[in-house]
Amino acid sequence: MGRYSDDPAWADIIPLPTDEGGPNPLAAIAYDDEYAEAMSYLRAVMAANEFSPRILDLTEDLIDMNPAHYTVWLYRAQCLFALKSDLHAELAWLNATALEHQKNYQIWHHRMLVVDVLDSCEGEREFVSRMFELDAKNYHVWSYRQWLVRRFGLWEQGELEFTRDLIEKDVRNNSAWNHRWYVVNGREEREEGEAGGVVGDAAVREREMEFAMQAIEKAPQNQSSWGYLRGIVRKAGLPLQGCKAFVQRFASLEQPDEVRSSYALDFMAEILAEEKGSEQQAALALDMLAQKYDPVRRNYWEYRKGLLGVDAVAA
Amino acid sequence: MSPLVRKDDDPRNTLEELLQQSRIEELTSEHDGYEDVEPAHSSTAHDFNGHPFPGNHLQPARTQAKPPLPPWLQAATLGLFHEDLTTTTTQAQAKVTKECLPHLTGQDTSGFELNSHGLPHLRRTQHAAFLHAQFEPLPAPYVAIDASRPWFFYWVLSGLSALGEDINPYREPLIATVRPLQNPTGGFGGGHGQLSHCACSYATILALTIADALHVVDRRATWHWLGTLKQPDGGFRMAIGAEEDIRGAYCAMTMLTLLNLPLELPPDSLARTAGLTRFTDKLGEWISHCQTYEGGIAGAPTNEAHGAIPRYLDVPALLAWLAARQTQPEGGFQGRQEKLVDACYSHWVGGCWALITAALQQPPRNSAALWNRAALVRYLLTCCQQPGKKKGGMRDKPSTRPDAYHTLYSLAGLSHAQNVFTYNARAPTTGEGRSLAAFNWAARGPSKEEMRELGVDEEDLVNFVHPVFVIPMAAVERARQEFEDGTL
Ligand SMILES: [Zn+2]
Repeated sequence: MGRYSDDPAWADIIPLPTDEGGPNPLAAIAYDDEYAEAMSYLRAVMAANEFSPRILDLTEDLIDMNPAHYTVWLYRAQCLFALKSDLHAELAWLNATALEHQKNYQIWHHRMLVVDVLDSCEGEREFVSRMFELDAKNYHVWSYRQWLVRRFGLWEQGELEFTRDLIEKDVRNNSAWNHRWYVVNGREEREEGEAGGVVGDAAVREREMEFAMQAIEKAPQNQSSWGYLRGIVRKAGLPLQGCKAFVQRFASLEQPDEVRSSYALDFMAEILAEEKGSEQQAALALDMLAQKYDPVRRNYWEYRKGLLGVDAVAA
Repeated sequence: MSPLVRKDDDPRNTLEELLQQSRIEELTSEHDGYEDVEPAHSSTAHDFNGHPFPGNHLQPARTQAKPPLPPWLQAATLGLFHEDLTTTTTQAQAKVTKECLPHLTGQDTSGFELNSHGLPHLRRTQHAAFLHAQFEPLPAPYVAIDASRPWFFYWVLSGLSALGEDINPYREPLIATVRPLQNPTGGFGGGHGQLSHCACSYATILALTIADALHVVDRRATWHWLGTLKQPDGGFRMAIGAEEDIRGAYCAMTMLTLLNLPLELPPDSLARTAGLTRFTDKLGEWISHCQTYEGGIAGAPTNEAHGAIPRYLDVPALLAWLAARQTQPEGGFQGRQEKLVDACYSHWVGGCWALITAALQQPPRNSAALWNRAALVRYLLTCCQQPGKKKGGMRDKPSTRPDAYHTLYSLAGLSHAQNVFTYNARAPTTGEGRSLAAFNWAARGPSKEEMRELGVDEEDLVNFVHPVFVIPMAAVERARQEFEDGTL
């Protein structure tokens, strides 16, 4: 008695029951009957390497019961392509499934395989944006979006504006910052020799630095915007001095009680360490971090101070 | 009431919120779907039985002065950098700080017995019982872990070992349980009839290593199967046809090392068509593409930085990135910038300190000098232990339920914080075409002085957990000896 055993369409299959390895398996799951039956049919058809439309029904049924079942997803993908199935129908089904199981990640690999074969990203970004409305930091969805940009060359088709809007909504959304970096620099980083991004294109570099600085003005104690600015300076190999005037507005050694951002003070310590003859001042900035502005990282700041090669500074 | 806690931070409110939030979570989550699985014997809201703070009412009033709070928990530090701009991120952070502060400051001790430094003792008995219970039969909703069950074997056995429990009674049941999971073409799946998968194989092999049962593994077949996962670009897929990401590289290299398999690619490996001959070919480059502009390591090239393994990288930038992951004021670790503290990163980030120390050009005297071990210990002992007399297990943060995943990685975090691990740079890293570097670690426990600084007593110490393999040091050494001659 069961969905498959009662169905004449499956009458040719002898199901393979589960082997639990012995009478006392560890952490054995008391499967309900529907799942146990579907799995026993899956084992049988996989053993026979069957690719047929009924496999799509069986795998859909299993994914409904257990969306984290990677075996079922991989088998389903093979079957879809072997049968040249309607991939638009597959996407429609995936949309509903993704919304229902937001934390599932197998779905996104599967989607990638399907969209790759479809060779069209129509509607994809819109769907991904819907996912971001539910969770703007979903790692797997962001990975998928990067893949879309790369696969379909969407570098200059609204992605920059998309990250601007998300950062506008939440200036600390690090995932959006990371995507922005990718959109600006990804092509150059992947295809060496391309002169662009923050390294090769001065106009782009200035625009992005300006963008980060404006975000810092809005919320000075924000790792994401400082990290972005610092990343540009590091990648482009710019002298740190160029940022000194800006950084000073948030962390000045002349006004040690008015520091507005520990990230600015960290940056200031790096700037001073690079400046000839300012090691003592750099040490002072690191002392301020260790003792007042970021005591949870005291050991790290003191390690950094040790790298300056100066003797202990009177705080 | 302590002056640093605002009126609306009354722990009673916090607890009420906690009770209201007590929820059946979706069984999968952001940690690759293995986290937040409801434990077999988890606590539920009504177990609190009406007492606002279980056990607190039974304790005599404390008359002695509390030990002073560490600098990062003092009012002056907590009051720094007030931001007017409220966003989703700041709201989420404020909520977590609010739920953690009463525990961190000792205002709410959850009824735990305190050690001589005023921090809760490690609740060894309860955590061990919680882990043992994970091996009991699981009800039908656990079908959600049907493809990741081997993780439980590993989390439970490694967690129990860290607590010094005897795991030998599980040896035979483990051998029997994993037998149907191994495929003749190499590797282990999540269950009988499932495809071989890097994560499942990694977890199974670690569990077998702990139980001294590696003879179960078909090493030659494993080597062939790993050869099918190696990609022409240098990375590894998680399974044939599955995604390529850093977990694949990490799991595959761990298995190759622990089983002492040849680094030479099998003849039928697809990667050979691109001119690669060894498992390590182009791996360094592939991983270096995973380092982001922020200095951290992403799951795959260009993805957002996520706690992982240092090597072939801009080491100072990585160090800065790791240091920035310790959260103020909780003292635990976050996985990414502007995300929330979570006990499992006690391992994923906390385990990196020993590794990066070995990679630094100007290393400190030891890894302890790079980070705040005491802050992590305080977070784990005060915020991550499940309260309730008979409840055990460790959790992401106070508003979540304990599970085996967070229990192991919290205990591993305690090991990283309590002990000092050093890498012997003079020992060989390869030999006869095999990878040996990961075997060159030594550990020592804390001195009396370090225990005072960390706020732990003798009974709060866990056993050494290997910084690379995250299993007992002794089990790693046993595996090294077992396959020393390298024959397949
Ligand atoms: Zn976690």
